[in-house]
Amino acid sequence: MLTIHDLSKTYANGVQALKGVTLDIPKGMFGLLGPNGAGKSTLMRTIATLQDADTGSIRLNDLDVLANKPEARRVLGYLPQEFGVYPKVSAEAMLDHFAVLKGVTAGGERKALVEALLKQVNLWDVRKRKLGTFSGGMRQRFGIAQALIGNPQLIIVDEPTAGLDPEERNRFLNLLAAIGENVVVILSTHIVEDVTDLCPRMAIIAQGQVLLAGQPADAMRALDGRVWRRTVPNDAIEGYRNRLTVLSTRLAGGKTIVHVLADSRPDDGFDAVAPDLEDVYFGQLRRQAATARAA
Amino acid sequence: MFSEIFRFELRQQLKSPLFWMIALAFASLAFAAAGSDHIRIGGGIGNTHRNAPFVVVQMLTFFTILGMFLITVFVAGAALRDFEAGTAELFFATPLSRRAYLGGRFAAGYVAAVVVLIVVALGLLTGVMMPWVDPARLGPTSFGTYLYAFAVAVLPDLFFLSALLFLLATLTRSMLSTYIGVIAFFVLWQVAGTAVEGPDHLTLGAIIDPFGLGAFDVATRYWSAEDRNTRLPEIAGLLLVNRALWVSLGVALIAAAMAWFRPDREGLRLWRRKRAVVAAVEAPAPAHAVALPAVELRSGTAARFTQYWKLATFDTRGVLFGVAFLVMLAFGLFNLTGSLLLGNEMFGTKVYPVTHLMTEAMDGSYNFLLIIIIGFYAGELVWRERGARISEVTDAFSLPDFIPLLSKLTALTAVIVVFLGAGALVCAAYQLIRGYTHIEPGLYLSYIALNTLRFVLVGALALFLQVIANNKFLGYLLIVIYFISRIALTQLHFDHHLYNFGSAPDAPYSDMNGYGHFLAGDLWFRAYWGCLAVALLVVAALFWARGVAQGWKERSRIALARFRAPSRALFAASLAGFVAIGAWIYYNTNVINKYIPGDVAKRQQAEYETLYRKYLDLPQPKITDVRADVDIFPHERRVEVRGHYALANRTDAPISDLHVRLPTDMKLVSAKFAPHDVVSDDRVHGYTIYRLKTPLAPGASMDFDYTLQYWSRGFRNTPDDTHVVDNGTFITSQMLPHFGYDEGGQLEDRNDRREYGMGPVPRLPKIDDEAARRYSLLGRDADWVTFEATLSTEPDQIALAPGYLEKEWTDNGRRYFHYKMDKPILDFFSFQSAAYAVKRDKWNDVALEVYYDPEHAFNTDRMIDAMKKSLAHFSTAFSPFQFRQMRILEFPGYERFAESFANTVPFSESIGFIADLRDPESVDYVFYVTAHELGHQWWAHQVIGAMVQGVTMLDETFAQYSALMVQEQEYGAAKMRKFLKYELDRYLHGRAGEVVEEMPLALVENQPYIHYRKGSIVMYSLKDYLGEGVVDKTLARYDHDKAFQQPPYTTTKEFLDYLREDAGPERASLITDLFEKMTIFDDRITAATAKKRDDGKYDVTLSLHAGKTYVDGVGKETRATFDIPVDLAVFAKSPDGQEQNEKVLFLEKRMVADGDSSVTVTVEGEPYEAGIDPYNKLVDRVSEDNRMRVGK
Repeated sequence: MLTIHDLSKTYANGVQALKGVTLDIPKGMFGLLGPNGAGKSTLMRTIATLQDADTGSIRLNDLDVLANKPEARRVLGYLPQEFGVYPKVSAEAMLDHFAVLKGVTAGGERKALVEALLKQVNLWDVRKRKLGTFSGGMRQRFGIAQALIGNPQLIIVDEPTAGLDPEERNRFLNLLAAIGENVVVILSTHIVEDVTDLCPRMAIIAQGQVLLAGQPADAMRALDGRVWRRTVPNDAIEGYRNRLTVLSTRLAGGKTIVHVLADSRPDDGFDAVAPDLEDVYFGQLRRQAATARAA
Repeated sequence: MFSEIFRFELRQQLKSPLFWMIALAFASLAFAAAGSDHIRIGGGIGNTHRNAPFVVVQMLTFFTILGMFLITVFVAGAALRDFEAGTAELFFATPLSRRAYLGGRFAAGYVAAVVVLIVVALGLLTGVMMPWVDPARLGPTSFGTYLYAFAVAVLPDLFFLSALLFLLATLTRSMLSTYIGVIAFFVLWQVAGTAVEGPDHLTLGAIIDPFGLGAFDVATRYWSAEDRNTRLPEIAGLLLVNRALWVSLGVALIAAAMAWFRPDREGLRLWRRKRAVVAAVEAPAPAHAVALPAVELRSGTAARFTQYWKLATFDTRGVLFGVAFLVMLAFGLFNLTGSLLLGNEMFGTKVYPVTHLMTEAMDGSYNFLLIIIIGFYAGELVWRERGARISEVTDAFSLPDFIPLLSKLTALTAVIVVFLGAGALVCAAYQLIRGYTHIEPGLYLSYIALNTLRFVLVGALALFLQVIANNKFLGYLLIVIYFISRIALTQLHFDHHLYNFGSAPDAPYSDMNGYGHFLAGDLWFRAYWGCLAVALLVVAALFWARGVAQGWKERSRIALARFRAPSRALFAASLAGFVAIGAWIYYNTNVINKYIPGDVAKRQQAEYETLYRKYLDLPQPKITDVRADVDIFPHERRVEVRGHYALANRTDAPISDLHVRLPTDMKLVSAKFAPHDVVSDDRVHGYTIYRLKTPLAPGASMDFDYTLQYWSRGFRNTPDDTHVVDNGTFITSQMLPHFGYDEGGQLEDRNDRREYGMGPVPRLPKIDDEAARRYSLLGRDADWVTFEATLSTEPDQIALAPGYLEKEWTDNGRRYFHYKMDKPILDFFSFQSAAYAVKRDKWNDVALEVYYDPEHAFNTDRMIDAMKKSLAHFSTAFSPFQFRQMRILEFPGYERFAESFANTVPFSESIGFIADLRDPESVDYVFYVTAHELGHQWWAHQVIGAMVQGVTMLDETFAQYSALMVQEQEYGAAKMRKFLKYELDRYLHGRAGEVVEEMPLALVENQPYIHYRKGSIVMYSLKDYLGEGVVDKTLARYDHDKAFQQPPYTTTKEFLDYLREDAGPERASLITDLFEKMTIFDDRITAATAKKRDDGKYDVTLSLHAGKTYVDGVGKETRATFDIPVDLAVFAKSPDGQEQNEKVLFLEKRMVADGDSSVTVTVEGEPYEAGIDPYNKLVDRVSEDNRMRVGK
């Protein structure tokens, strides 16, 4: 169980990246959903001991993460949003190198571990290839392999599926799902499907604040009967935006489909739809925007 | 389109802070260099004005070259901007022409570079206007000079450089490769410059120098200070050719860049590497739960060590196989090889590649690259993880902060060792190729170890700065500032190694004495800085960046949190070590030894003159008898002298005050002489005044007995205690007490004198000053003395002094030698002691001996041979040799000279003992130096001149002439020409650097370029015109009359009277031109045509120009009439094409008309070349135009 309490962070340039974030994250996959610039990466880095918060605490079971970074790092697996590789080093050599740095200094253990990891992420056949020749998906899988070194209790993956093609993304999510049974896995993303497909629990964060935390199913249930859909001409969208809370618009066959949030059917053209997580997500963002305008 | 690209790019450039940072840094350097002597850019400027046209052009050119590495940022930046910013494809998708795109970018980069130099010019201009600049050293400010400098130097230089950089950048699309290209270019330029050095290759050197320095040098090579202050070379001839050549080359480079530029993703690939195409078939990942083997995460010491080792080898490999390192290694080795092949030559003759010279070659031409490598890789290593964007992964590992830091230090160390090791291997290979097998692996190893230590300290500092700066470029800037400050501090006389990070008194190495006692001092300083380096590294570990970049406040907070027990202990221990060793060093350098910074030493010299010069003419007694017991303790670096002088009053008044002078590192333990009082005892300036209770009556004598101690304890800040060392002690009579004021201790540099308020440089007394003829060249307190000395030393060493060995014995474990001279000698002698091997021979009844280091037996036979031939020649030509024995003694190479004492010649190990004379074509300078020093047995030890103008002509010029004659006998006239060409060049070069006043040879005021260099040429010309017989006869007559004379001493005026008498009135004007005036001839052949006659002979018509100019002491020239006969010659083609082997068809001295004239001569055989003064016997500034191919 990871407990984040009242975490705040303001950068030197005045940007307030986290505002009193409080979250309880149990074992299993946890989705952290938010738009670009929401503070997801700051939160992830803070949990990964790479950044200090101004106030607040993070505890992993009994361990105060911020006060005991070396101990926390021993139980941590981290796949940053962006990471590079030494392009001329082979996957196997690089993973072996990482394993030593993480503390797997016994040679025999390490050899077995590297082999198991590469097989696990399906890179065993290409283990001798230079990392510079890897595709984006292969590189991400390599990234998860290094994050798994040393049986971490807490795994943090920051926007891992951005830029992957659908097949690679599936492969990657499958891998994550397989891991996320016994440990805390935090998956940050701005792709709603990642969370829908994978995470029993989630939180939505925007502008440094947690807008919603809980189970996706509960969140969706809360919107039951309040999401409406209509196909409209392209030039009419602005009118709807002014009148209604438009959750999303999507082009389909040259027309636009809008989803709106309303307690009752806005007009006859609208049909009720079963809310999905995307509706929840946009609903939260619109509500935050509206509050900000009002204030 | 072009102008839009140009303006956009230029705006980008001028907006960048880096641009202004570089421009301002450069401008302040220029400002400082223009306004003070402490920062020197380019050569010293001596008598030339600080803002003289010559200086301005040189400085701006120099800044252009210096700027090469920084200008890369602008020009290559302009070429690479779109590739680095990822905007390239946006541009190439537009219908923009390649020419407009590249042209615009290039032009903007070029203009940016020019702007930097304009700022530099402003720095120079304002620097000389500052109030602290001595107005006496300024001329009028001329903006024309700046325009000239930009037009002739800066703009074309930058154009070529920018074009080169632009081409490199567009082709490689990599800043690193461009930099490597620049370094390659720089090294090639250096190597080419070294290869064409010397007077034989001036034209070639002038053309191939891309910056036009060579051409500028040819045009101004022999300019006087007056010329430099007022003139600029015409843009014509070589200078024009050079400028045109390199600008056109620049145009060609740009054309190439445009032709080869490909606006696509790949760019130009010079070699295509096959890439394995791997099928992207992937099995779906297993969806089952993870079942990884259990592992233990260890954090014990063993685990930490494994991690450190892994990371260190990883980082080391990263550097060693990095392109930049390999390229710099290649350049370094290339440069080193060049220096090995060309270096250490005297008159074009090589030396044996003894191992310590190999290490000196590494010092001079190889190790400097390590500074660049360390500076560069400290940044690369600290930023390695972040640069590869891998740090977010590794930073989250549970790895202590000090391990990456330590591994990077290890990688730097490994790089240093590998680099030095590679250099040593190349040196050893070179030794073997030269057929020299005495490779000293131990010396190589200790050299590598010492230098690794030195550079690791710099590496630790560089790492520290990079970590603290937390910005790679700021880090680089700090490192550069460190290097500059180190130089600047030293120049400002803040030269104590205690506050100059990483510095130490580098132990000088000598084959005779090894590193000697100097090593201890060196190591103590390294240990001192090592302690500080450890403390800095602890701080670096505290500030080691982990995670996201933070502000200073946060970083300090984190650092403080990391400052726990182990770091505290290490930090405290290293600081304690630093302080403790610092105290020990201070005790050694400042308490038991004296530390005198350069400016303090100069001030003391000034004080000495102010306080005591008034006693210059105070009558003092003369030393007539010298006896000394000298106990040398080489390993303690201690000498005890119990000495005795007999002093005589040779004036006609009683002498009541005795002024005793003694070098300050000699301790006067006791002085016993007639009853006296101490009037003053000045230990700072080594000057004590005693008042005799009973004045010494005219004609009377007194005894002066003294005990002296020299004891060099501990170590010094500057390793200058080279007199008494473990093996190779060398002390001279200069270190014993002397009487009265001596001008030798005065400040001599004109600018120093002005700075310390001392008035103009004291000159020698005029040649007509009859009173001054009381004193000889060698001092005021003695004429000729009787000499006797007993020396003692270690049992394995031989101690020597002038005189003949009377007795040798061993007592109390020490070896004693008693030397005695049977006739009076000059008060000028040496005491030496070392473990010598001895070579003995005989010439007639004269015993010949060479005392040498057993490893240096190469040329002892040559020395013996030279002694025999010199003695044979001089004793026939001049007068009999006055001694029964002649000795040459090797001493350690801390100084490079040979000096002639009575029957004893100390000879530095670095001159002659290791010359490699196996090539019969080489100039045998061992022979030459030996002959010169033997010449002094006549010209100094028989005839010594009065201390007035011209005095050094009587010893140095005549010794030089004596050596030339023996050399000519030995090697023939052809080789003399090669030698004399060097002498002429050195004379002309020397006079251009004169800071006071050039004098005619007969009035020379101890100016080496005159009494040696011009002396050789003048005496050789004289011999050529008069014949050797006449010159030798004059010298013999002169020697006969003046040898061993008492005061008044002789002068050059007397000699010239002898010469005129023997030469006859028809040579009077020649003698005047050679000795009494500064005469420069301008002989040229302007056309030569041949016509075959019916009888098979050829009529050759020479169109000649003959001119003569008199020059005054500051370079003002007056045209005179050419009125001496001169060599005219016609040569046939030589079979091998070598000039020196051309057959002489016609050679005759003829009178030719002043100015232009024409002469026709008839020769048998086909003419090939013709010339006027073809062997360059006359002083002529341009020797190349004295010969010409004959046209049909």
